Amino acid sequence: MSALPIANLGKMPRGQDADALPVSELGTAFRVKGLLETEGDLYVYGTVLGRINAGRVIVGVHGAVEGDVVARDVRIAGRLIGRIFALNVTVDSSADIEGRIFHHTIAVERGARIDGRMPWRPPSYFETLDQLPETRP
Amino acid sequence: MSMFTRSDKPSDQPSGAQPRETASPAAPAARAQASAQTMPAAAQPAGARASAPAEVPGVSVISKALRITGQLESTEDIRIDGEVDGDVRGLTVTVGAGAKVNGTVYGDAVEVSGTVDGKIEAKKVVLTGTAHMSGDVVHQEVRIESGAFIDGHLKPEYGKSAVGRAAHAPKLAPATAHVISEQPNGAAKA
Repeated sequence: MSALPIANLGKMPRGQDADALPVSELGTAFRVKGLLETEGDLYVYGTVLGRINAGRVIVGVHGAVEGDVVARDVRIAGRLIGRIFALNVTVDSSADIEGRIFHHTIAVERGARIDGRMPWRPPSYFETLDQLPETRP
Repeated sequence: MSMFTRSDKPSDQPSGAQPRETASPAAPAARAQASAQTMPAAAQPAGARASAPAEVPGVSVISKALRITGQLESTEDIRIDGEVDGDVRGLTVTVGAGAKVNGTVYGDAVEVSGTVDGKIEAKKVVLTGTAHMSGDVVHQEVRIESGAFIDGHLKPEYGKSAVGRAAHAPKLAPATAHVISEQPNGAAKA
């Protein structure tokens, strides 16, 4: 289903390469249903129903995602229903999350609403994440 | 380890920009550089953008590294430089050079410099010199620049069969579409 090599997630270069990739922005009035794949940054201010595979995902204050998010870095300031698989996760105070957050490092700001578990995983888990667990791992 | 893990300052959300930037000496430099080259319009760090509602864009940009499989809709403008497999609905839809859309593009105004494999339905259609259009174009006004490739019919019928065409416009999600829980009962069923 996905062409983005999830297996490479943990190995992605932190510096120049990742930052040089273009930024995609989904505006407030934007709504998409389906699969989004990018190796660069994705800012979500609108609504996404479906799966996101990206290098870095930022969900803005009014952004909403329903589905799984797979990325190296994830930052949530909006609403998310679904799972996150990311090495580094930041949850802002305005966030509203329902679902599991698979992470290696996480920061949660006071005020965030999180309903779900936050399982820690070693970096190797994200490197070998060839396909997402369908049910409870 | 990363810029995203720093939260050593209790930054407060609404006032926005500074707290994250001052959090560490090393990370902001890299981030400022990144945002400077990727978003010339806003010379602010990524973190500040995510949390500052005032800067939220209405325009959507599908960059060339992004591929979307599914349906897109917006009540604002959409710019596509990447690849879209599915239908696109927007106010002004721009398909940039190098972009590819497999599906129908609906809009008020549609400008194509890339490849569209499907159909265009818009009041105003522009096919630039680099456009590659396979499929019909339903329009009121059309402009085709020299060099454009088009394989399909041009039909100046946009808005004429009012029942069929008008049905597209209200389908655009209202501005409140970010409330996910409303969607199942919403009128967004395609």
